[in-house]
Amino acid sequence: MMDLLHWDGTLSAKDFRIGAVAFAQKWESLNFAFPPWVWVPCPKHPWLASPELLQEEGYLSMEKICISRLNEEDIDQTTQIDTDEEEASCSGNKDVIDDATLVQRNHHELHYYDFHIVYSNTFRVPVLYLRAYCSDGQPLQLDEIEKELPTCSSKELSKSKWTFITQEEHPHLKRPWYKLHPCGTGEWMKLLFLNDTAQPKFEVVLELYLLSWFSVVGQVVGLRIPFKMLNDR
Amino acid sequence: MAAESPSSVRKVVVHLRATGDAPILKQAKFKILGSDKFAKVIDFLRRQLHRDTLFVYVNSAFSPNPDELVIDLYNNFGFDGKLVVNYACSMAWG
Repeated sequence: MMDLLHWDGTLSAKDFRIGAVAFAQKWESLNFAFPPWVWVPCPKHPWLASPELLQEEGYLSMEKICISRLNEEDIDQTTQIDTDEEEASCSGNKDVIDDATLVQRNHHELHYYDFHIVYSNTFRVPVLYLRAYCSDGQPLQLDEIEKELPTCSSKELSKSKWTFITQEEHPHLKRPWYKLHPCGTGEWMKLLFLNDTAQPKFEVVLELYLLSWFSVVGQVVGLRIPFKMLNDR
Repeated sequence: MAAESPSSVRKVVVHLRATGDAPILKQAKFKILGSDKFAKVIDFLRRQLHRDTLFVYVNSAFSPNPDELVIDLYNNFGFDGKLVVNYACSMAWG
């Protein structure tokens, strides 16, 4: 029986799968702001594996999350036009108001986000991978993503975490994705549970692991865990 | 706990608790407006400890988003009339 004091905050691949499923179930039933996470199996040797093993290795996926808002350029342009508008109304010209509306519509584009929670064999912890793209499939660069994802009101706090996002090859899909670097994860996961007043047994820790983990990494990409998910213990 | 009158703004007692090898604050208890964001608590900690990277979390193995309201955190995770906020130093991101 694993005791928390000697636990290093990491998970085996098998435990990751158990934790991932528990997290996905909780999310589906209690988080209505987002679609559910889906487990995508990725067996290493599909021709060899038994049905049980086939399900073992994989990752959680939540895709095509639509984030649409005016980009910074539009906001500036709108402001400029408002100023002109004021001057124009003084002189009696009302046509400028229509132009302002047109500018917003033309520049309003939809961006889509894919999030994957992948197990790292090296660090033995979950890792958040993400990528973003326009409706025509054109990928977004990291600085564009950074500007767009809702950050918390404290810019300094979110800024430091962004420095740990790097572009890497997705371990299963072999394409470039962005990932939030996992080193240190084991340490703070251990802290989170060591100081949990409920002092849970390891099975409970496993059930809650991804949830607690996500409360930390979700902040970097502006995804918030609703309280009712955390209170449901 | 005192009854709230419509015109009064509720204050929340926050108890800052050092974990890991984080330094212990001389003044670890204070009151903050419930309508303030958690970011204020984090900011206070950063200034007191002279550290930029802090790992801040509450007792249910959860790290609150800085935009959460202190009163909401107290209502969900507070006990014994206070909100215990744990902190540890600089190990968060690699």
